[in-house]
Amino acid sequence: MSYILPLLLFFLIIWALRKKVDVYSSFVEGAMESLPLLAKILPAMTAMMLALALARTTGVIDALVSLTVPLLKFLGIDETLVPMLVLRPFSGNASLALLNDVFNTSGVDSLSGVTASNMLGSTETIFYTVALYFGSVGITKTRYSIPVALISGLVGAIAAILLTPLFM
Amino acid sequence: MMKWIWGSMLLLSMSFAIFAGNPDSILDSMLEGAGEAVTLSISLCGAYMLWMGIMNIAKDAGLIESLSRLMQRPLQKLFPSSKKAIAPITLNLAANFFGMGSAATPFGLMAMKELKKEGNTTNTASDDMCMFLSLNSSAIELLPTSVIAMRAAAGSQNVYSVVVPTFIASVFAFASAIIACRIFARIGKKIKR
Repeated sequence: MSYILPLLLFFLIIWALRKKVDVYSSFVEGAMESLPLLAKILPAMTAMMLALALARTTGVIDALVSLTVPLLKFLGIDETLVPMLVLRPFSGNASLALLNDVFNTSGVDSLSGVTASNMLGSTETIFYTVALYFGSVGITKTRYSIPVALISGLVGAIAAILLTPLFM
Repeated sequence: MMKWIWGSMLLLSMSFAIFAGNPDSILDSMLEGAGEAVTLSISLCGAYMLWMGIMNIAKDAGLIESLSRLMQRPLQKLFPSSKKAIAPITLNLAANFFGMGSAATPFGLMAMKELKKEGNTTNTASDDMCMFLSLNSSAIELLPTSVIAMRAAAGSQNVYSVVVPTFIASVFAFASAIIACRIFARIGKKIKR
């Protein structure tokens, strides 16, 4: 597995040299493109991440979690998994920290621990992705993409919750 | 959509802080978040340079064009109006599939750039852009590398027990993203008429 990428790169450079490509200039030219990109991404990322930091420290996210606990409990979803479900679209690091919490409280190989792992693995940090990808091309009118991303994230999380017991 | 999400996040958070009698925390945490964004972007910039440089070598060697031709057929249905973006989209999905987030993002950003070139020039997302974003927010993952690393660190007896269920769940998410995108796009067209 770990050989695939280095080997691909190795053969890419051999192939390019055979095609008489100036690999050095070509690399530098390509890498240069990342700078204007960074300039476009940075403001969008800053806007999103300062709003997230604010929501986190003022307790809005905690409030959101405690609001959804009864609803999800009613649906039979394990209480320890709720913060994961709510936080996941907003922050990758926070969800990883939550995963560790679940590991510590319920155990890595417990049903909750494995379910939480699967939920995290099969979903994405949606708002970060939106800010990054759309920010990089100056898109602010995102149309239906956020609802679709949230729906698919929910589908992934529910699938993870339902599938995990079958593989234990 | 973004203006409502962002605006309500800020307003809600600020009113929480003010009601809690803690107005100092507002600017402090905003500054902290802004700083985090800068550090993250700068640290990601190295990965962007690496992969964009490599991709440019592949492009100059004619490999990107071959990849586009190869993937044209399977991806055409999902991205009907974006021929040039096919190669970076393929690379992005492949990198996601193998759990290499650091490579997936620069490929994804290049794909977005191509999608924008061929789509509209306004600030509104095209159908192809929405499809690409949705696929990326539910990317199929063969190896959820960060989760596996965390499980190993927590001393799991069976680190890889998550691979199969995670894969199947992400396939469900992926499929639902495609279906939902199609439905929304169709509704959008009907409203326009």
